[in-house]
Amino acid sequence: MIDVFTLDLLRNYLLAGAALFILGMLGFLSRRNLIVMFLSAEMMLQGTALTLVAFGRYHGNLTGQVFTIVILTVAACEASIALALIVILYNQRSSLDVTLWQDIREEGVPATPQMQEEAEAEPIEPVPGPESYPILTPAGIEPAHPVQPWLERRK
Amino acid sequence: MSGFFVQNVWMIPCLPLAGALIAAVGARRLRESSHVPVVAGIVLAFLVSLGALFSANPEATTVVARWLSISNLEVPIEFRVDGLTTMMLSMVTFVSSLVAIFAAGYMAGDPGYPRFFALIGLFVFSMTGLVLSNNYMLTYVFWEGVGVCSYLLIGYWHTRPAAAAAAMKAFLVNRIGDFGFAIAIFWLWAVVPGHDLSYGNILSESTLGALPEAARVGIPLLLFWAATAKSAQIPLYVWLPDAMEGPTPVSALIHAATMVTAGVYLIARSMPLIALAPGVQVLIAVTGCATALLSASIALTQNDLKRVMAYSTVSQLGYMFMALGAGVSDVAQLAVVAAMFHLFTHAFFKALLFLASGSVMHAMGDVIDMRRFGGLRHRLPFTHLTFAVGGLALAGIFPLAGFFSKDEILLALKSASHSAAGLGWGWVYALIYWVALLTAFMTAFYTARAYFMTFWGPEKLPSPDDPEAPRPEPGPGHGHGDALPHGAGQDENHGHDHGHDHVGQKSPPIMTFPLLILAGCAILAGILFGPTHLFEHHLHATLGFELLGHGEHGFDLATALISTIAGLLGIGLAYRFYASESPVPGQLATRFRPLYEASLNKFSVDEVYDWVVVKTTKALAVVCEFLDIYLVDQLVIGIAKLPRKLGKDLLAGYQNGLIQFYAAVSALGVAVLLFILLLF
Repeated sequence: MIDVFTLDLLRNYLLAGAALFILGMLGFLSRRNLIVMFLSAEMMLQGTALTLVAFGRYHGNLTGQVFTIVILTVAACEASIALALIVILYNQRSSLDVTLWQDIREEGVPATPQMQEEAEAEPIEPVPGPESYPILTPAGIEPAHPVQPWLERRK
Repeated sequence: MSGFFVQNVWMIPCLPLAGALIAAVGARRLRESSHVPVVAGIVLAFLVSLGALFSANPEATTVVARWLSISNLEVPIEFRVDGLTTMMLSMVTFVSSLVAIFAAGYMAGDPGYPRFFALIGLFVFSMTGLVLSNNYMLTYVFWEGVGVCSYLLIGYWHTRPAAAAAAMKAFLVNRIGDFGFAIAIFWLWAVVPGHDLSYGNILSESTLGALPEAARVGIPLLLFWAATAKSAQIPLYVWLPDAMEGPTPVSALIHAATMVTAGVYLIARSMPLIALAPGVQVLIAVTGCATALLSASIALTQNDLKRVMAYSTVSQLGYMFMALGAGVSDVAQLAVVAAMFHLFTHAFFKALLFLASGSVMHAMGDVIDMRRFGGLRHRLPFTHLTFAVGGLALAGIFPLAGFFSKDEILLALKSASHSAAGLGWGWVYALIYWVALLTAFMTAFYTARAYFMTFWGPEKLPSPDDPEAPRPEPGPGHGHGDALPHGAGQDENHGHDHGHDHVGQKSPPIMTFPLLILAGCAILAGILFGPTHLFEHHLHATLGFELLGHGEHGFDLATALISTIAGLLGIGLAYRFYASESPVPGQLATRFRPLYEASLNKFSVDEVYDWVVVKTTKALAVVCEFLDIYLVDQLVIGIAKLPRKLGKDLLAGYQNGLIQFYAAVSALGVAVLLFILLLF
């Protein structure tokens, strides 16, 4: 019977939702790439949505689903704005690294010497994996986008 | 027909109000004819009052609207049309009409013309409402209303510091009295059955009989306190002489004929209540007597014509309070009738005297110092005549109005001295009776002195080179550069278009016609209503009047004779001293130098008040200012500074521009909150 939505079943959903949320949060905290951070945030959102749907199903009403649909709508809007912002940020620094935006800090607070830290860090040793790992070909050639106008705009 | 007037009595206050609103709203369009709606409103109100006069009935009340309705306090806008009310209504609207017409000529050319008439209309609204209302609460509202109008009209020339200060003084002194009135109302509310503040309930035999012992003395005392401020009695009379800074028609209407009698009205209205406390009545009589004597003795030496009239008003109000205070045991009815009759006649002749003084002032280019002009009887024959009538009426000469009313007051005092003998107060009233006679003599003297100084002797017109002419001071308080060419009189700001070039000119007919009518009333009002007992019978139709003690009090020939002799003596003495140049006043002034100086300086009452009240209040204000700046302000500023300190010195360091750091702190915060939630 598909209609019987027991507490055990609910727990599974909640665990999955929580896992999504935590993974998203860890991704958001650890990555410096703006787009990846954004994707992580979306993942957190999906974890919440899943939880809401599960609860809605468990209580036998549509509140959770309705709320999820609202969340999705908001997320879609937010995505469009966030991506537009990311494009603008990229134009400013020619990079997606979020640590390049440290100058939004409070006046008089010393900058975190990220670059220096990175320079002093040990180079990453590529971990040799099993032979069974597929070898991916480089992802095509770089598209012929006009770099020149962007750089000009920055000045 | 009588029901019609009782039902529509609300028109009496509302017509002048409508006129005032039209004058205020249409000020730009009406300009020089702003007086038309107000005068029309007041005259129509007078006609309605005449109708109401013949429908007076102690029980006639009409509810106009529901007003206050808070749990067990029910105060409707309710009017009572009884004898006392209709008498006051007719008098107020009649005098107001005449003064408003006079003002149309007097105030012509003043930049604030529409404002003046709007305020006059508002005043008549408040005053008629005050005498019409049927409960203490509504009376209190209108009581404040007339106070506000008085404040606004005293400070009408608000650019002049003296006028602004006088307005403030009047308002603040009146606030002291209002405080007593408010407490009286609270107390009444607490003790009367049903918490019903209407006169019908409070002034009924059953309510009065059931009043607690403390309230029987306390409430009359508080009501008298209220009356001392509004009606300028010791110790709160000091505002009235200063109130003469306002335009002369205002002095005539508000500060002589109508508003200042509100206190007398209140006591007369509450007489059944006041009569419960003979001790308070003695106090009222003594206060009235002291006020009458003090202000009459100040008026003896004043040189400012309007100021003489102002002190005379205070003195005559003191007379009315003497009469009210004489209402012990079987004299009560006679006392109320005497007081109200004097109020009635005084309104006519005092308004007449003020308007005549205004007429003199108008002709003299706004100079009011009597030493600077004289012998005007040929130049201003009409004003001279009307002033003489008013003065004779004030001095109480037979058969003018003042004679009858003053005589009745003296009679009441004499009867009280017999009736109160049982209470042990007889000698007090006898003493007051003789002091009242002395005051009558002084009244006649200073009135005649003002008259002779102004109209007799060699003709003299004001000129800026007079030794008495005030020197313009370049100090900051005297910011009028044009003080000298305008003579710097009382009303120096007034009417720039009739300055010195018009000195000695006669007044226009719109100003003489009201004088004529008032003079007619000053002659006839006494003899028409006094000996015929018309006035007395009308007042019998007043609520609670039958509760007052009454007895047979015939005409007392001895009193009439003595008071007439006192009046004639005063006039004769003034004639000897002032009708022609005489060295006697100067010699007397030098011989009794301290007395003369004391009277001229108004017994320094203002200075004493300044030291005792104003200075201490200011010191208290300085302390409050200190506390405000260094305690309250610092506290508030400190609290306002706290977030800044907290953010700047403590938390700003964490704003390092790393998004991940912010996210991590948020996540930690959520974790801590979750932990706390799980813990508890």
